[in-house]
Amino acid sequence: MSNHAVLNPADHGELRIDTAASAELGDNVMACATVPAEFRSIQAHYPIVLRRDLSTGKLEALALLGFETGENLFLRDGAWDAAYRPLSMAIRPFLIGRAATPDGVGQVHVDLDHPRISKTGEGVRVFDAGGQPTPYLEDIAAKLGDLDHAHRESADFFAALDRYDLAESFTLEVTLDDGAKNSLVGYHTINEEKLSALDGPALQDLMTGGHLARIYMIIASLSHFGDLVARKNAKVRGG
Amino acid sequence: MIGSVEQVVIVGGGTAGWLSACLLAARRPELAITLVEAPNIPTIGVGEGTWPTMRETLATIGIPEAEFLSECDASFKQGSRFDGWGDGGEADSYYHPFTPPPPGDMAAMLAAWQADAPGAPFAAAMTPQALACDESLAPRQRAMPDYAGALNYGYHLDAGKFATLLKRHATARLGVTHVSAQVTSVANDDTGNISSLRLHDGRELAGDFFIDCSGLAAILIGGHCSVPWVDRSDVSFNDSALALQVPVEAGSAIASQTIGTAHEAGWIWDIALPTRRGIGCVFSSRFMDDARAEEVLRSYVAAKLPGTDLSALRPRKLTFSTGHRERFWHGNCLAVGLSAGFIEPLEASAIVTIELSIKALAESFPRRAATMGLLAERFNELFRYRWDRIVEFLKLHYVLSRRTEPYWLAQRDPATIPARLVEALELWRDQPPSVWDFPRMDELFCAASQQYVLYGMGFPVPAGAPDAAASQRLAEVRQRSRALAAALPSNRTYLDALRPVAAADPIAMHGAAMK
Repeated sequence: MSNHAVLNPADHGELRIDTAASAELGDNVMACATVPAEFRSIQAHYPIVLRRDLSTGKLEALALLGFETGENLFLRDGAWDAAYRPLSMAIRPFLIGRAATPDGVGQVHVDLDHPRISKTGEGVRVFDAGGQPTPYLEDIAAKLGDLDHAHRESADFFAALDRYDLAESFTLEVTLDDGAKNSLVGYHTINEEKLSALDGPALQDLMTGGHLARIYMIIASLSHFGDLVARKNAKVRGG
Repeated sequence: MIGSVEQVVIVGGGTAGWLSACLLAARRPELAITLVEAPNIPTIGVGEGTWPTMRETLATIGIPEAEFLSECDASFKQGSRFDGWGDGGEADSYYHPFTPPPPGDMAAMLAAWQADAPGAPFAAAMTPQALACDESLAPRQRAMPDYAGALNYGYHLDAGKFATLLKRHATARLGVTHVSAQVTSVANDDTGNISSLRLHDGRELAGDFFIDCSGLAAILIGGHCSVPWVDRSDVSFNDSALALQVPVEAGSAIASQTIGTAHEAGWIWDIALPTRRGIGCVFSSRFMDDARAEEVLRSYVAAKLPGTDLSALRPRKLTFSTGHRERFWHGNCLAVGLSAGFIEPLEASAIVTIELSIKALAESFPRRAATMGLLAERFNELFRYRWDRIVEFLKLHYVLSRRTEPYWLAQRDPATIPARLVEALELWRDQPPSVWDFPRMDELFCAASQQYVLYGMGFPVPAGAPDAAASQRLAEVRQRSRALAAALPSNRTYLDALRPVAAADPIAMHGAAMK
């Protein structure tokens, strides 16, 4: 389905990106990927949950945006209704491409079939009239670089969670104001009992690896479930 | 209430009449406003550029921006570009954009400009608008609220369509009464104020206050009140123009600014609308005859719009006298528009003067006949001040020139330069133009405008030391220029998106090729 190309001024000199936020632009997702290095920003706005990939058995982290498939409660009037847009959403329709060699330098790729690709002449340019990257592309490239680096170091974090068996599955049942029930199934979070029972060397290990603070950020982020429920109730009320 | 002012009669229905009617009706809904307009009087319709003030005016009147843009075949105007005014050479061009330089100490910013980027034009160093104009970009995105912009802007518009829109809006939505009749005589009351107008069909139109928007005819302020005309052609020489409208190709770029190109005895205006360009040659008949002016105009069109069928162009001749009334408000009669005064459209001062006149009237409206004289005195003092500043600011464009044709030498003859301008130029050798030079509310040409012309034309920068804050502000301008140039759509993209896509007419499109 996708049509990826290496971004370059010769082919994409006139390319413009629609940077609004809406379902039409593909933002109607109930969760998006996040990385431990981003937890500090994510936990200020969204619940962070964990999920275990069924095929690899590995943990991954998600920012929760809604309660059901296709529901993003942070979309409002064509804009993203939070001060911070998760990196994995903000970079679209761009992605990191890499040559086959393991130390290959990352390149900016673009998905030319993505709905963010503007066909109207409106939107933000990627290259300026002289073929130089615009501030928008510079920002995207910086985000892609951050995300790439964060992905590489994230394996350590999830391995540490498994090492101390800190991820536990949970089910959340939410009753809305109108009595309707929404349940979240299949996600994991931090087992706080096990965390508080860890001994000194274990804590030392997590601390040295830079993981401990991020574990607490996941715990803290769960307070945003209240906000998410409030958004859902407002949406239901609004029709 | 005896002596209260409730009935307002506007005479004349061009841009001045209908704009006045709309603004006054919107600002003073308690007034009963009647506009009397002679049928079949052609409007002059040359003033096709507005100031940023028009956004507030339209918002006040209550016309949505997209409706205005599409109904008036309008485009965005972000300032003016002056080509050939310095030495007339190839690279001789500067902007007078509507967005002012960053706030702060201009002397330090001038020093920072000279230290950091001496090669950059002044306007490009001071505002992101210069780059947006270079690339023919719109000053806003369609998703923004009406009349909001990332850059300051006004409009270019079709004056005839504008008057039609205002007329419809005034009569349908603002309760203005429209009378189509010719005024044959004017009657006074025993205090010498106008009491009523006699119309050609025998009707009589009484009023407490009269606004003369009858254009050059000036039937009330001139014909009836005999307020003298103050001639300003001693300073402002141009008295003639040849005007053209040239259709443009679909999809062609729409310039973001009025382009004023100097020639041997005047200048050429070039105003881009989505469907046509209004181009006109302004000149002084003392230095150029009509035939030469037409040559100059045609060669401009040939150079700027190659492919235009020059033989089909029939320029329209306009002659004008430069000046204004000695008093604009006399008794219970206020002159607005051409009846009040006229000067060449070098900085598009005509429509903004209408807006400012009605703003001043609406915000200090004579509630009683007894206060009329006090308000008239204030108004006359203010607008005399404004006309003097307009005359001086336009003259500034000429006195800084280094061109050597007889016309240009005559423009720089000290005998033709107003004393206050001479004094200001003396001061500006030591310090940049500031609010100290232009201290009043709603100055037409504030310090920023003066700076853009002065330093655009290469006036020496006063000695000064750059500081870190000034350098930082100019660095922010550079960064914001790049960001805005990336985020703004082209004028063509923006304006075409508002218009129904014209069904391609194969004959019209290929007409040129079939000949």
